[in-house]
This record gives sequence, C-alpha cells and structure tokens, in this order.
Amino acid sequence: MRFVKTFGTLTAVAALWSAPALADEIVVGFATAESGFMQAYDKPAQDAAMIRIKEINDAGGLLGKQIKVVNADTKTDQAEGAKAGLAVLDQGAELVVVSCDYDFGSPAALQAQAAGKVSFFLCAESIKAGIQGVGPFSFSSSVLAAVQGATMSEWAYNKKNARTFYRLLDSWTVYNKGICDGFDWMLPRLADAKLVGEDTFKNDDASIAAQISRIKALPQEPDAIMLCTMMPGAVSAIKQIRAAGINSMILNGSGVDGSYWLNAVPDLSNFFVPVQGSIYGDDPNPKVNEFNAKYKEFTGTDPSSQYVYPGYVLIDVWSKAVERAGTTDAAAVVAELEKMNEEPTLFGPRTFTNEIHHQNRGRYLIVETTAGKPKVVDEWTISEKIPVDYLVSR
Amino acid sequence: MTDRSSVLWRTVATPIILVVGLLVIAYLTWQFGSRPFNRTVTEMFIQVMMVVGFYVFVGNSGVISFGHVSFMYLGAYMTAWLTIPPFMKSVTLRGLPDWVLQTELSFWIVAPISALFAALFALLVGRIIMRLSGIAASIATFGLLGLVNNVYSNWDSVTGGQGSVVGIPPIMTIWIGWLGAAIAIAIAYLYSISRSGLALRATRDEEIAAQASGIDIVRERWIAFIVSAFIIGLAGALYAHFLSVVSPSAFFLKMTFIALAMLVVGGMYSLTGAVVGVVVISGLIDVLKRLEKGIDLGIGTLAIPNGVQEIAIGLIMIGILMFLPTGLTRNQEWTWTGWPFGGGSKGS
Repeated sequence: MRFVKTFGTLTAVAALWSAPALADEIVVGFATAESGFMQAYDKPAQDAAMIRIKEINDAGGLLGKQIKVVNADTKTDQAEGAKAGLAVLDQGAELVVVSCDYDFGSPAALQAQAAGKVSFFLCAESIKAGIQGVGPFSFSSSVLAAVQGATMSEWAYNKKNARTFYRLLDSWTVYNKGICDGFDWMLPRLADAKLVGEDTFKNDDASIAAQISRIKALPQEPDAIMLCTMMPGAVSAIKQIRAAGINSMILNGSGVDGSYWLNAVPDLSNFFVPVQGSIYGDDPNPKVNEFNAKYKEFTGTDPSSQYVYPGYVLIDVWSKAVERAGTTDAAAVVAELEKMNEEPTLFGPRTFTNEIHHQNRGRYLIVETTAGKPKVVDEWTISEKIPVDYLVSR
Repeated sequence: MTDRSSVLWRTVATPIILVVGLLVIAYLTWQFGSRPFNRTVTEMFIQVMMVVGFYVFVGNSGVISFGHVSFMYLGAYMTAWLTIPPFMKSVTLRGLPDWVLQTELSFWIVAPISALFAALFALLVGRIIMRLSGIAASIATFGLLGLVNNVYSNWDSVTGGQGSVVGIPPIMTIWIGWLGAAIAIAIAYLYSISRSGLALRATRDEEIAAQASGIDIVRERWIAFIVSAFIIGLAGALYAHFLSVVSPSAFFLKMTFIALAMLVVGGMYSLTGAVVGVVVISGLIDVLKRLEKGIDLGIGTLAIPNGVQEIAIGLIMIGILMFLPTGLTRNQEWTWTGWPFGGGSKGS
C-alpha cells in the first residue's frame, strides 16, 4: 500500500538532528534568511555580527569561553522562521539573532522568548521588535524608523531653516509609515513650522505624476519634502520629483542610504539621509572607517548601506551585558542590558529600559548628496525621546 | 446487524485509514522527532485541513477555486481578534468594537466561532459567485481573494494593515493539529457521502444529465462552498495559534498555489488524494531542505545549493503529473473491504 511507503520515509527523516553544545563554548544562533528576498537585508548585518564575534574570540572569548555560531535558514518565510528559531535553540543557543524585519523575525524571536532566551532583531525598526511585539527578552539593535523622520525634520528646521514641509508617504510598509509617524510627532514641536500638504503613493506605482502636480500647484515650493519610502520604489519617486523641476530639499529615512542607485538619478542634489555610520569613508569616528576596511577584508565588498552596522552593535551590547552579568542567563543579561544608558558603540549610543528595548532617540549622522556625491555634513540627536505610548499607538 | 450495503458502511474505511495514518505520523513524530520536525508535522496537519477544505469544493464540484485562502484570513483574523489580550489589542487594533476589545476567549471557543464566521461569509458571497460556472467561477473566486486581501491589508485600525498582528497565544501542539485534520477529514467525508455531495459529484461528471434529473447546481455548489469555508476557516484559526502572529502576506498566492498543487498531485477528486498530496509534498520539501543544509555522510557532507528545493519540487510535480495525470491516488480512495467491512481485502 502506498501510504506505508510514505510513513517509512517520514519516520526515517524524523530520526535526524541534534548537536549539543560543549561546556567551554557559548552558542549564538542565527535564525536568519539565507535564501529569499530577506537575505539581501540579513546577510550584510550578519556579516558585521560575525566580525564582532571574531574580534571577541580572538581577544580570548566571552567569560573565557569561545563563541560558537550556529545557523538556521528562515527562507524568508514566517513558518520556517519559527522552526529555524527552534533549531538553533535545540543546538544550545544562548542568544537568538533573528531576521531584520519584524514580520519575518518575530516567529523565531517568539520561540526564543518561550524558551526563556534573549533574542535580537538584526536591524528591525518597528517598536514591535522588542517588548511590545515579542516579550521582555527581545531587543533590536537598530534605531526606530520614527526617530529617522523626527531627526530629519528637526535638523532641517534648525540647520536649514526649513519652515514649510510637504509629507509624501509610500504606504507600502510599516517601516515607511514609521518614518512619517516620527515626522508627525516632531512637526507640532517646531514653532512656526507648517505642513503645507500631504499625499500618499505606493512603492510600485509607475508614475506619481498626480502627486507631483499637487506639489507643483502649491503657491510656493515647500522648503522640504519629507519622503517616507524605501527601495526599490524610492528611486523612481525621487527621479520624478526632480524631473518635474521641484528643487526642495528631500528628507528621507535610512532606507535609501547607499550609492548603488545614485546613477539612476544623475546629479541629484539637496538630498538628505540619516545614517548610524558612514559607508562613504568620511565618518567622523576613525574606528568606523577601520570597521569598513575590515568588512571589506571579511566579505570582499564595501558595506552597501548603513544597515550592516546594527549587526555589529547587537553582538557588542549583548557581549558587554554578558561580561557584566558574569553569566549568559537570560534574566541577568536582560537586567544588564536594561541598565545601559547612552552606552557608547561604534555607531552611536544605545539605551535600553524595562519599557523599551529599542532606541526612541539616537544620534544620527546627516548625509547630504550633492551632484550625485554623498557626504557626511552634520550630526543630530533629537531634543527629546519619542514617547513609547505614541509609538505603540501608531 | 448494520445494513452492509449502505454507503456509510461501504466507504467509512477511507476516513478511518486516513485519520489513523495521520495519528501514526503524529505519534512517531512526537516520540522521535526533534522540535523543529514536530513543528513541520504540525504545519502539515494544518495544510491537510486546508487542502481537504479545497477538496470539498474543488473535488466535488470540479470547479477550480483560487479564492479559498480568503477563508484562512477570516478564520485567522477572527481568532486574533478574540484571543489577543485586551491590553494589547486596545492599543494596536483600536478600530474593533468595544465588546471585542474587552473579550479574551479560549482557543476551544474561538476556533469554532472563526470557522462559523468564514462559513457565514461564504454563505453571503457564495450566493453570487456560485451562479457562475467554469473558468468564470474560478476567476471570480480569485477576485474574492484579491478583495479580501486588500481589505485586510489596508483596514489598519481593525486588521493592523500590512503589519503583523501579535499576541495570539501559541498553544498549538501536534495533537491539536492532528485533531483539526481529523475533524476536517470527518466533515469532508460526511459531506461527500451526503445527498448534496453525491448530487454535486453528479453535476461534476455529467452536468446536463444531472440537471435533467432535477439537481440544482447552484444550490449544491453553494453548500459545498460553505462547508469548505468552514473547514478552511478552522484551519486559519489553528494557523493563527501556530504562528502566533498573523499578517496579510501569509495568506495569499503562495499559499493558494501550494494548496492547489498538493491537491492536484494527490488526486483532485479524492479525499485520500488531498491527504496524500499534503503528506508527500511536505515530506519531499522537508527532505530537500535537509539536503540544502547538508547531510553528514561520514566521508563528507552531501549538500545541494540553497534554493534548489523550490526548483526540485516544481520538477517533481511536473514528473508526477506527466506520469500520473490523475494524481498519486489516480483519484481513487484508499479502502478496506476486509473484516469487519465484509468480503476479501483489497487496497487501491
């Protein structure tokens, strides 16, 4: 009978797996995408994490033990993500590093939470990537998308004298909305700054001519356009705005960092992006430039965007917390992480509290693109923290 | 003594074989499998529910549906609305009515409610869609999926929009998965031997003759549509607890096509085919995934490049359909005619 064969195969398959951790090792598990579209986001940040792990191991390890890395592929799939989380936990992971995006990382993070282990999102920028969406043992090492929108608007107001703002939202992802949420929160705090108009589009819209003609119809060109979007649609939107002769400064989130797309919009100018560290070789902190060189040596390419950096930060802050706690026990490590207040890292300070395991304020470098050349021109930290209640309610 | 010539007595062996077969898989997995493998099998049981749900409509009516995954949405989100703790949903899902915001029910109550909700929806939309026939009906079901997807992706205050809804208790175990699959198989079986099921299959095989015999095609398809919606709504409820996050991207084209592929590979017109299709395809996917990871053979590691799994599954499915166009089961049911069902034994 055919079904007997099926059972045979299944049972044979069932009897595989398992690799217990040795006592003189600390296991860090990566439940991240090794295939599928998330791989493009996860891989660079994971490489940066591996660099930090290698540095620690070369310097004698953590608590005198070497860090051992285990991997499981989420295949950019939520159900697979949960399995990948379990797979690394079964191999003894004390820290579970999960996919960059909240939607794809949370299934594995929830498994870590249920097993009482610490989890870190590689670079998720939603408030849910942490206590609010996973539980008290979950963290993200990046900075909230809302901080990017708030940073750009406050900086432009103070340093570029921007008074009239136009808000253009690409409603495709939660990340995009997050940038505009931060902008919405900051704008009323800027005396006599005015929202002169707002509009939405979708990332895959071939044309945003209608939105552009509404900007053109304004009596005066706005000082700044807050553009809440990401790749790949961002390129086409920016190109169309400039082609229509609108020369207002364009403010963005970190999602458009990188020079790989700039030749699609020749001679782009008056274009501003917040970054945690500069990939252009001009970071004010020479150690960041050293890291970039190390990254190139390790992977063979330069970092493509600032999203490699959070991977380095997460291993950095977690290992510091482990050193201070003297153990990898999750509760003790979380307690140490929550004591971190403006903890310096290569890519800006990090603060965690028992209310939020993410950055609702953070130092950003401002990169200006002039005639197609990106360059760090300033740095900015928003004047106050974005309240957790506001972030959660969006 | 039971009347041995009744339809029930002659065919009841099929669901029993299937349910017991799945029970054996569940037991072996629970006894010997790793935790990730347990999850794979639990997911497989949910897929069994989904594909059996497809079978109830597609198998009995002969009309291919691209829209049944919309009932996964309805079931999964209803479960999310009713099981997420009030303090969480009152912040993230503010658009829900107050009484829903204050409610937090247990899985055993919510799962049937979610299934009924999906069935109710099918009752309303089915009246319209079922009037169409052939490819028009298939495309209309596809339209339904697009419609539901758009509503759930954009009604931010009620569904959380594009983002994930979190906080559904992760209570799924392999046994609940098996129970769900068993219930789905039982319902599908009872429907297929019912008056309506027999009438619908008659319309599938000989539409004009069936109509001439007084069968109301629209009505019978409508009933099958509602029954299948109930099963898939229940699968959606279990899936929500399985992942404990729901997002609109989870229930869309990929899920639709994998479900249809499983059904076609197993044998579209048989309940056995629905179950076998799921078990075989998920078994193959799992084996290929392990090969991608690499299997240690002592002398070296045997590994295939990442991404080959998806290609291989496609090729295997083409192969199966070339040589067995009616699926692995050739559209037959697995039966047992030995004791106590009378007469000598015969597998299919």
